[in-house]
Amino acid sequence: MIFLRGFLVATLALFGAQAWGHAAKASGRLPMIGAAPAFALTSQAGDRVALADLRGKVIAVTFIYATCKDTCPVLTAKMAMIQRKLGADFGPRVRFASITVEPEVDTPAVLKAYADAHSADLAGWSFLTGPSAEIQDVVKRYGAFAKRVKPGDVDHLFLTSLIDRKGMLRVQYLGYRFDPDEMLRDLRALLRE
Amino acid sequence: MISRRQFVKDAALAGAAGALGYGRELLAAEPPPETTRIRLIEITGICIAPQYVARDLLHGEGFTDVQYFKAVAGIATAKAVAAGNADISINFVAPFLIQLDAGDPIILLGGIHAGCFVLFGTERVRAVRDLKGKTVGVQALGSSQHVFLASMMAHVGLDAKKDVNWATHPSSESMRLLAEGKIDAFLGFPPDPQELRAKKIGRVIVDSGKDRPWSQYFCCMVGGNRDFVRKHPVATKRALRAILKASNLCALEPQRAARLIADRGYDYDYSLETLKDIPYDKWRDYDAEDSVRFYALRLQEAGMIKSSPQKIIAKGTDFRFLNELRKELKA
Repeated sequence: MIFLRGFLVATLALFGAQAWGHAAKASGRLPMIGAAPAFALTSQAGDRVALADLRGKVIAVTFIYATCKDTCPVLTAKMAMIQRKLGADFGPRVRFASITVEPEVDTPAVLKAYADAHSADLAGWSFLTGPSAEIQDVVKRYGAFAKRVKPGDVDHLFLTSLIDRKGMLRVQYLGYRFDPDEMLRDLRALLRE
Repeated sequence: MISRRQFVKDAALAGAAGALGYGRELLAAEPPPETTRIRLIEITGICIAPQYVARDLLHGEGFTDVQYFKAVAGIATAKAVAAGNADISINFVAPFLIQLDAGDPIILLGGIHAGCFVLFGTERVRAVRDLKGKTVGVQALGSSQHVFLASMMAHVGLDAKKDVNWATHPSSESMRLLAEGKIDAFLGFPPDPQELRAKKIGRVIVDSGKDRPWSQYFCCMVGGNRDFVRKHPVATKRALRAILKASNLCALEPQRAARLIADRGYDYDYSLETLKDIPYDKWRDYDAEDSVRFYALRLQEAGMIKSSPQKIIAKGTDFRFLNELRKELKA
């Protein structure tokens, strides 16, 4: 029995340990939450942007809306700071996608103005909109939520999801007060994998 | 505790997948919940706000049927979870421990926050010790207030069974009696403290959100029905994740969270005050096991449980989901 148990543990160590998300503690890798929910939405330039098209890059997906006056600008400014710190990796290797939770107001043109106001490098950062039902579906599948109070005012959960190059959701940051250096470290760790 | 059969099954699966060359992705992807129905508790208080705010997030986790079962906070809530009337709920940890000690099938899954309870007194009460011989208002014997105050009294050497006169009334009645000086003290939890402060009734004797040792431990924790947790581990983790996310929302966006709570019929202003008063963002920081140990010791002192803290922890806690979520959700 002891031999059997030892064999199973060895088998796990050989094949399985890296296969389980909770091996993260031992290896220092970020956990593996699951396949990142797919989406295909319209960018600030009017182009169709699908998550599948970004495969091979590390991606940060977040939810904002352009008329949000207090907290979304804090989050977007933080992401812009991370964008700058990523240097040459931003764009070719790391992409950001900010999805609006107020699609009826946030047209591509509105999102373009919002992006410009936050010095977003649009070579690596897409601001996405789409039909309300599609947006709600994406919000829900990422485990966030958004509820429109009135036009231009949306209650929503701030949730930034990091996705690895294979399209796996690896970690989510709650709120907008997170440490940007920690997110930067996580993005770079995903680049190294 | 994972069974030997399950261990062998998991090990074989992991080994086979590795041998066949499947990557981490296949095995690690979180499946949908084993059940699409989740039942939680609804109480008259607001301190379990994340449970109310979590409704939409629970839908996002795959629960198409989210139900709330009305119960009184405290022992009644713990019993409702144990009886399977609710699958999972936030509740004051002490009543959970009392029912665990009684053999009820409950599993504690993680902590949410400290700082619910505030003890108000008249000018005749300056400290907890002054409660000896006094009349104290609580919702009911076995309510969260009663159990918390019994723990506090035991901590300073008073016997809750004989040193005070318990006056059981609905909170609104107790607050009126306190204002009229007809009871000496009242232990409130949200929205009662917010209302008493707004109306300048009584004086604060102990604020569990600020005063040690109470402020250092979770008062409210998430507990699940043991059978539900065992049969539905994915659903349990998903439900806990929704509640923890909602807890962060309460901390970061109190106005928005208060609106969601007000939609359920609670007073917006008191909800907002509650969300600002209670540290809802501590679920990552405080130690859930320490909180169980702390309250188990207090309840032992008060003669309300016989089991040792270690026995309670061994048979009534499972923090694996919380530990996983700590890694998956950063803040």
